[in-house]
Amino acid sequence: MNIKKLLFVTKFEELGFGALQSLLILRSCSLEHVVFLYVIDREKVALQRGVGFKKDEQIRLKEAANIRFIDWAERLFETGMEVGVYIQVGSLAAEVVNATRKEGADLVVIGRTHKSALEQFYSGSTVTDLIRRLSVPVLVYKPAPEGTSALAKPFERPLLATDWSPASLRSVAYLKGMKRIIQEVQVVHVIDEKRIEGSSVMQAQKAHREAKTRLAETCASFEAEGIPARSYVYVGDATEQIDQAAQECQASLIVLGSSAKASWVERFIGSTPRAIAEDSVFPTLLIPPERFPTS
Amino acid sequence: MGKKVLVVDDDPDVRLFSATVLEENGYTPFEAANGEEALQMMRAEKPDLVILDVLMPRQSGVRLYRQLKTDAELKNVRVIVLSGIAKISFLKSQQALAEFGQGAVPEPEFYLEKPVEAETLAETIKKAIG
Repeated sequence: MNIKKLLFVTKFEELGFGALQSLLILRSCSLEHVVFLYVIDREKVALQRGVGFKKDEQIRLKEAANIRFIDWAERLFETGMEVGVYIQVGSLAAEVVNATRKEGADLVVIGRTHKSALEQFYSGSTVTDLIRRLSVPVLVYKPAPEGTSALAKPFERPLLATDWSPASLRSVAYLKGMKRIIQEVQVVHVIDEKRIEGSSVMQAQKAHREAKTRLAETCASFEAEGIPARSYVYVGDATEQIDQAAQECQASLIVLGSSAKASWVERFIGSTPRAIAEDSVFPTLLIPPERFPTS
Repeated sequence: MGKKVLVVDDDPDVRLFSATVLEENGYTPFEAANGEEALQMMRAEKPDLVILDVLMPRQSGVRLYRQLKTDAELKNVRVIVLSGIAKISFLKSQQALAEFGQGAVPEPEFYLEKPVEAETLAETIKKAIG
């Protein structure tokens, strides 16, 4: 899987040029085109009682974004990169999906969204919405935690959390495509506590051994591509344990497959990819399962 | 009918501005909102001049200019680059692409940085195609 074109979705305060620069390492994996997208929240300029449509505000926001993008584009053009830009008024998820389809982007990069729990319950999570509607991976970028170099080289030490789902298997293939920029992959599987609760020691050990065997196979497939890999088994709540594993392995990025649940299901029971993407301090690369075109 | 001029810009306000200047000065404007659309129109309409933006979706003016100048049929079409991107960055981008083995292309004869006054645009168009 090659990443030729990247859609960089920014509101500027959470995702700046520094973040973009750290992604330019992907040029060694065939990145040649960056498309910027800035979405002006419709509610900021929409028709409001007593105010009407705030045309002046829309122009101000568009021009402010344009000035920043011109500066960024000049720097990228000068290195021979191809650059495009969209400044749109609308809803974030819908505009990201539109731009991704129009451009044929291979990777979408977004910052962490800041919706409250109540907002997420009623309007859903942007990350969930994107994963459900896109067939390309989504990288949720975060500011580097203090004292780490995660931002400088985000793909150097990825931690792949696998449950051997189709999306997890696609994640393996995706990481193999980045072999030129990966130093070492950490592969982790979290055994659900409930699976071994009340079971015998033998059953618990069997679950552990099975996981180790499958992880060893995954590591071997990375090693065959020339990517050093190590495996770990954790037990407990998947979200907590993946985050803990990332800290203990000094990962630069968490990678996980994401099988999109129906939005109403997710609002009530949540999802590990969404929780990691929105709550972990680590940048998170979410890989959706392969989607086949429907006739 | 006046000389044909293709205006390539993703911003409809800029297209309207340029088209108005062109019409007021006796030219016939055509419009394209991105590089791909522009290339199709160029082949169909054979314009005398192209007014080209740089930062656009789908295909930038940097790549379109390069395509134009390496196309046997289109390389003699005059071009005015009209963009918010500084001329130096445009030239450096062409230089970088040439270094990556894509071959050198001539510098644009006319380069205007946005915002531009109507009089300046009209004068430059006149210099380019009379």
